[in-house]
Amino acid sequence: MNEVSQFVQKYRQASWRVQLQWLVLFIAGLVVIAMVAGLRLSVSIRAVQAGREIQSFKGEILNNQRMNANLASQLAALTSTQAMEPRARALGFQPVDPAQITYVVVTGYTPQKDILLAPPRTQPAAAIILPEYTQSLFEWFIDLIQSNPPASGWQP
Amino acid sequence: MKNPHTWRYLTMQFLLAFFGFSLLAQIIRIQNSAEAKVILAESGKYEGREVIYYPSRGEIYDRRGHLLAGNQTVYEVGLDLNIMNDLDPSELPAFQNNIALTAQLYLGMTYNQAIDKMSNPPPNAVYIVLADYVPAEKADELIKLRDSMSSNPVGQNLNGMHFKEHLHRSYPEYSLASNVIGIVPPQDEQGHSGVEEKHNSLLAGTPIKIWVPSNPNQAQELLNLPAGANLILTILRELQAATEEILDAAVTDSGAEAGTVVVMDPKTGEILAMATSPRPNMNDYAHYGDTLSSEHPLNPAISKDYEPGSVFKIFTMAAALDKGVVKPEDTYWDHGIIIFGGVPIHNWNNTTWGQQDMTGCLQHSINTCLVWVASQLGNYNFYSYMQKFGIGHTTGIDLAGEAPGQLKLPGDELWHPVELGTNAFGQGLSATPIQMVMAASAIANDGRMVYPHVLYGSVQDGQQYNTSPMVIGSPISAATAHTLSEMLTISLEEEGSKALVPGYRLAGKTGTAQISPYGANDATNASFIGWGPVDDPKFMVYVWLEKPRTSIWGSEVAAPVFKQVVERLVVLLGIPPDNVRLQLAGQ
Repeated sequence: MNEVSQFVQKYRQASWRVQLQWLVLFIAGLVVIAMVAGLRLSVSIRAVQAGREIQSFKGEILNNQRMNANLASQLAALTSTQAMEPRARALGFQPVDPAQITYVVVTGYTPQKDILLAPPRTQPAAAIILPEYTQSLFEWFIDLIQSNPPASGWQP
Repeated sequence: MKNPHTWRYLTMQFLLAFFGFSLLAQIIRIQNSAEAKVILAESGKYEGREVIYYPSRGEIYDRRGHLLAGNQTVYEVGLDLNIMNDLDPSELPAFQNNIALTAQLYLGMTYNQAIDKMSNPPPNAVYIVLADYVPAEKADELIKLRDSMSSNPVGQNLNGMHFKEHLHRSYPEYSLASNVIGIVPPQDEQGHSGVEEKHNSLLAGTPIKIWVPSNPNQAQELLNLPAGANLILTILRELQAATEEILDAAVTDSGAEAGTVVVMDPKTGEILAMATSPRPNMNDYAHYGDTLSSEHPLNPAISKDYEPGSVFKIFTMAAALDKGVVKPEDTYWDHGIIIFGGVPIHNWNNTTWGQQDMTGCLQHSINTCLVWVASQLGNYNFYSYMQKFGIGHTTGIDLAGEAPGQLKLPGDELWHPVELGTNAFGQGLSATPIQMVMAASAIANDGRMVYPHVLYGSVQDGQQYNTSPMVIGSPISAATAHTLSEMLTISLEEEGSKALVPGYRLAGKTGTAQISPYGANDATNASFIGWGPVDDPKFMVYVWLEKPRTSIWGSEVAAPVFKQVVERLVVLLGIPPDNVRLQLAGQ
């Protein structure tokens, strides 16, 4: 028994070495924690910055939409019948008498169509984002199996 | 060897553990206490704020894409009360005086109103609104003034005055088609009358209430708010302007109290113009109601029913021809009077026309003849046809405030046998101009009656949805419609009507209805309905002048208005004279 304790004592590390190992381990732990915290802080800061930028852009979009609406109204007021008719009369124009009109056939002429402010209703367009970017691993695996059916002899 | 101090360590461990567990228990207790819930609720106020976002109101265009109703920037002008509250009490009167004078000069308020607002703010308020819907030009001037005075001492600056911009409805064409479009009054943002009210939910979009968190980490919770749908009307701006110009002049020249003109495509039911006179300027809300009353609603074309008089004879004749009780060549001997239901009925000018065929009856607008025609039909057939024509019912036009008119039926308490006779020539019943136009579309459109509408289409989510024409009934056959159109064309031509337009074959009928048969005056409703070109109708025009003074007759005052409108619309719609059209069609 005594021999055993002597053996253990002989190969036991010096206490300062053990303390140093613990210290290094502790500092390494601190560094890891600091790195994770720093990384998280950095990501958070970037997310917040991006969020604020998006908010700012959104505000800019709203502002531009408001300005567009305002300018469209101003343009419409400048080209309104109340504004244009006096200008036309001042320039010497007058409402045309039907008897003064000469009608001629112009080959290929397409008469003015009524307004189309947006494309007419159609079927929804195909998705632009490829499924690879949205499907889960499981869905991808199922797709893979379905697109490569097993060799003959298998029964579903 | 046993440590003699072990019991101390154990005691300390127990005490520390007990203390730890007590702390934990206390934390859990506090977290779940009633006070904690109150504190949580209170603290929730500071986690963010609830904001209601209103989408920008959709715009309204005419059928060629001209803007009829848009949005314009206006400002809310307010005052930061913290700046006022931080002032030395001796400086307050000068500060308030300066703000009040500015508000009086720029914001349309009285001096006392502004002082009152500043002196009596709501409890705990830190901001008050001095004025809203301030035009951008005024606000820009005021902003420049505030900035230029910012370094002046108190009483000579406008520091604390804030400007918040937002959109508000504007009507670049002012009063043009105001009866059709309606209005969105300030302080309300809800459509009133016309298209603005009927399609308010489409135009306004859906307001969204969202929680805006104070936590910047959640700043990505942003709103993508779709604007309200844009609407395209069937109205043609130039034709509407021309019609209003002609109508305004006619009302002035004839001394009429008011006037209405409706122009419709009889094949599709699209309203190309709907003019009323007088009409309000929608941008001047303060005086919006000056021209309106119960007698003169915003849009009499749909909301004011009246006894139409002789223009109604076309429906009596249509019913009789369709039922086969009369033929165009059948004759009637007019004695100037007919006793019907025990009541003597006279012609409009108390004259006698002698023998007339059915075309002559329409041409001379012989009351007694139409009474006889109605008597040949009988109560059941006459009123069945009138109901098929939609008389006494709303047309369902897509405008707010439509009136149904009135058609008494046999068996109703107020119906008397003489009603069949008087109804035959448009008295004793009432209809709106839009009802008359819809009913007459059956005569112009091969017997098919179309649904009148002003919505050409709507643009929503980047796509345009157009309104399809709708046939809502066939009260008469195509053959009857052709026969009657030809009779009305001949009657106009032989009469030498003031409604005739050189180069175009038109069908039409005048109407003069006495308003007050027991009154002392001769006030009438003068009307005219017509359409053309007869072989391929492209337009139908209804004219109604209320109480004209220069002449009480529809043939004298309403028919010329029809002619002027047609002269302008054939140019604007590109409808060549009949000979040219037929020649071009043959090429």
